[in-house]
Amino acid sequence: MPLVLARLLVLALLLSGPLRPAWAEDPERIVSLAPAMTETLFALGLGEKVVGITSVCDRPEAARDKVRVGGMSNPSLESILALKPELVVMTTDGNPKYIADQLQRFGIAIHVFTPRRLSEIPGGIRELGARVGAAETADILARKLENLLTTPPRFAAGEGPKALFVIWPEPLIVAGPGTLIDDALTLVGYVNIAADAGTAYPRFSVEEALRRKPDVIFLGLGHDRDNPRTQRLLQRLVPPELGHPGRIVTVSDALYRAGPRLPGGIVELSSGQNLGAKRSDR
Amino acid sequence: MKRTRVFLACAAALLLALVSIFFGPRLLNPLALDAESRQILLLLRLPRSAVAFLMGGALGASGLILQGVFRNPLADPYILGLSGGASLAAALGILLAGSLPLPLPLLAFAGALGACALVAALGRGPEGLRPDRLLLGGIGLGFFFSAVLLLLMTLVSDGGLKRTILWMSGDLSSANWELIPGGLALILGGLALALARSKGLNVLGLGDEIAHGLGFNPGRERFFLFIAASLMTAAAVSLGGTVGFVGLLVPHAVRHLVGADAQRALPVSFFGGGTLLCLADSLGRSLAAPLEIPAGVIVALIGAPWFILVLRKKGYGL
Repeated sequence: MPLVLARLLVLALLLSGPLRPAWAEDPERIVSLAPAMTETLFALGLGEKVVGITSVCDRPEAARDKVRVGGMSNPSLESILALKPELVVMTTDGNPKYIADQLQRFGIAIHVFTPRRLSEIPGGIRELGARVGAAETADILARKLENLLTTPPRFAAGEGPKALFVIWPEPLIVAGPGTLIDDALTLVGYVNIAADAGTAYPRFSVEEALRRKPDVIFLGLGHDRDNPRTQRLLQRLVPPELGHPGRIVTVSDALYRAGPRLPGGIVELSSGQNLGAKRSDR
Repeated sequence: MKRTRVFLACAAALLLALVSIFFGPRLLNPLALDAESRQILLLLRLPRSAVAFLMGGALGASGLILQGVFRNPLADPYILGLSGGASLAAALGILLAGSLPLPLPLLAFAGALGACALVAALGRGPEGLRPDRLLLGGIGLGFFFSAVLLLLMTLVSDGGLKRTILWMSGDLSSANWELIPGGLALILGGLALALARSKGLNVLGLGDEIAHGLGFNPGRERFFLFIAASLMTAAAVSLGGTVGFVGLLVPHAVRHLVGADAQRALPVSFFGGGTLLCLADSLGRSLAAPLEIPAGVIVALIGAPWFILVLRKKGYGL
């Protein structure tokens, strides 16, 4: 009798087809816990399937009506569970690990986006695309970025114009090494004057920034030249008495997020490069 | 003899503060300044050091006053809920930026002064300001302000709030000449008032009954001294956010050096606090250049072990 049962079990397994993981079906209800992931999911054409986002997810416009499940660093587990997601998309760049652990304890499938460097992003987009059933669109997105990554820079390494990317004017916080912005600056051919700061977003010395004479100063989102704080920074950073010949370029937040707007962000950086010459050793 | 000691201590402190100006990410040689170094000195280092000196001085002197007023060696200028009031006012001002376009320092000053007024109202009894009521009122209000700020940060995802927090955590790098006249006037006004009431500050330390016996009205003395400390602290907060530990550390060091007489200890606390913050800021901008370490962090890193050593020597059992 037990032998018959065992045979029947084997037969049932064979008839059910090859063994597939529990998440093999494409998820129909997705919660995104990071702005970059929300943007990427919408760019993959999955806006309809996204049922929850964080309070800081502000793009694209269509995402703004979605249910909010709390902040990026402190999402509400109960709010996420209430949405009955089939997949929660997270990132290692801002989501705490304990949320991933708790979600798994509740049997919720998660996908963690781990790439942090520009060169790793296309691979990350492809992995996410494969997980959510949008491999083809993900490949197109990834290739768009890869095309820019393989474009040779205008200047040889270390020979390009010196650049400073201002994240925050007072106190001065800039993009340092290991950030997407630093990668993009290097890719385009700039020399990031804060590359030796030792930390990703350093509180940078205004005095040292002045001494290093950036050819281009990029002002991040929200810090355009009309802003009084930016004006105060620029007065100290580029005093007219020293005859500053550099350019000041206001850019968007495209490079702040490992998402589909990265190519646009890289193009924005290139726009600051019309200096007509190599770095001047003023 | 003590007067000479006071004069020498103030002169040495001022000299040290002046020397610290030339230290930074790069050493400036005062005898060979090129155009760029002159600009750095005039536009960045001098206003920054002046703000650091005024802030540190105000916090040192306020700490001495408040430790006397409260008869509590652990009192410091932020115990009155001042930093919480300043942060909250600055945050609200930023959130309402459209209808209330006021600069951050002014908002912080108004908030700090508002917090002082509230603490004073809570600390008033029939016999004037009472130290226990002031202390409890200040601590309670501080918690309340922090809670409201936290609530705002939870509910509103406005970048301005982050900016307020960054600024309030102590930022001397944004110092400029425009900030100095207002801050200087308020701090000197507070210092002058405190010096005028220095005898009152001395007798408050002996207890209210003895102060009465010596012909002083403790409630009145406390009121004037409280105003002096509040003015100086609010001005300090408006100059560069909150820098901790100076107001706690400096008065202890100064009493160790020149004794407890407020007439001597007040000016030395002012100069000592100013110099300490100048030196800390100088170290903060030099140690990990081009990275900047906030001066408050340096003060605490050096000050805390020293403070514990002093307490051990004095037999507090630590």
